[in-house]
Amino acid sequence: MTPFRSTPGGYAARWEPVERTVLARVARDVAELVRSESGIGTDLATGEGIAFTGVGRVPHDPAVQRLLPDAHREDPDVAAEFRHLTQTDLAAAKVARLEAFADALDGAGDPDDPDGRDVVGQDDGAPTFLMVAREDAQDFAGALTDVRLVLGERLGLENDEDVEQLHDEVIDGTRGDDDDNDDSDDNDSDDGGDDDQNRRYWGGVFVAAGFAQESLVDEMLADLRARNARG
Amino acid sequence: MATPGAATEARSETEASARLGEPWVTIVWNDPVNLMSYVTYVFEAYFGYPPAKAKKLMLQVHQDGRAVVSSGPRERMEVDVQAMHGYGLWATLQQDGRESGGAA
Repeated sequence: MTPFRSTPGGYAARWEPVERTVLARVARDVAELVRSESGIGTDLATGEGIAFTGVGRVPHDPAVQRLLPDAHREDPDVAAEFRHLTQTDLAAAKVARLEAFADALDGAGDPDDPDGRDVVGQDDGAPTFLMVAREDAQDFAGALTDVRLVLGERLGLENDEDVEQLHDEVIDGTRGDDDDNDDSDDNDSDDGGDDDQNRRYWGGVFVAAGFAQESLVDEMLADLRARNARG
Repeated sequence: MATPGAATEARSETEASARLGEPWVTIVWNDPVNLMSYVTYVFEAYFGYPPAKAKKLMLQVHQDGRAVVSSGPRERMEVDVQAMHGYGLWATLQQDGRESGGAA
């Protein structure tokens, strides 16, 4: 995975096929989770023209609660009313953009793309070209946010130190699996190996999604400021 | 998620209703997942804040655990909170004057 770079046609990066596949799959999983937890039906059209249906049950899943949080910390009536008024639209918009994100990843690597020529001569499995149009970039970054928020909840990331530790673990893991670090003994159950493996896998996805988002947002922010300076 | 002190909340509702005339505020809370650059981007892109103000608010969220990012009538704050949730930021609304710590 290379950082996104601003180009005339949008924001461009190269992602390994496995990176595209894994992030597309997790985005579709998150979309399905939001859909089922928020009470919007599978038949509800996503995207434009969402009819207000008044559904607004509080999600049970803590990760979805983070995506659709209470809008007031002390007044449950205000929170409930807000949820009643907004949750269907919010959830549908998140589902739509997660699915668009996944579609973009599944469709990446268009050989017709002029920049694709850089890939010629590389082996199979080489990073493929991914272009995010400027008008789609905010939704793309938003989908990355929702994916990261759900993964962060699943990984138990509750504060900045948790995130830093996870980053360290993932970086250590990419340097060599034999590198034992002291923290790997935290899970001392019998199947701690599976837990470690899971944590390393999803931690890697979390870190990769963060890397992609950081580079994309840096470029978006630079473009936004340049536009405002001109305007 | 995140750590913003959940303690010291729970004030009486009579106090809230006594302040009906006061404007409402949108508060963004810190979370460990959202990137500082993304939060800055949201403050510049959505609110139209200049970079210096957006950065100051972002740092306030990061360091103090929260920041008041907009204020006004309740209906407008509901729009702002919904937008923040859309971006994936953790936001709430409340009536102003109940706690200190506002910046916007």
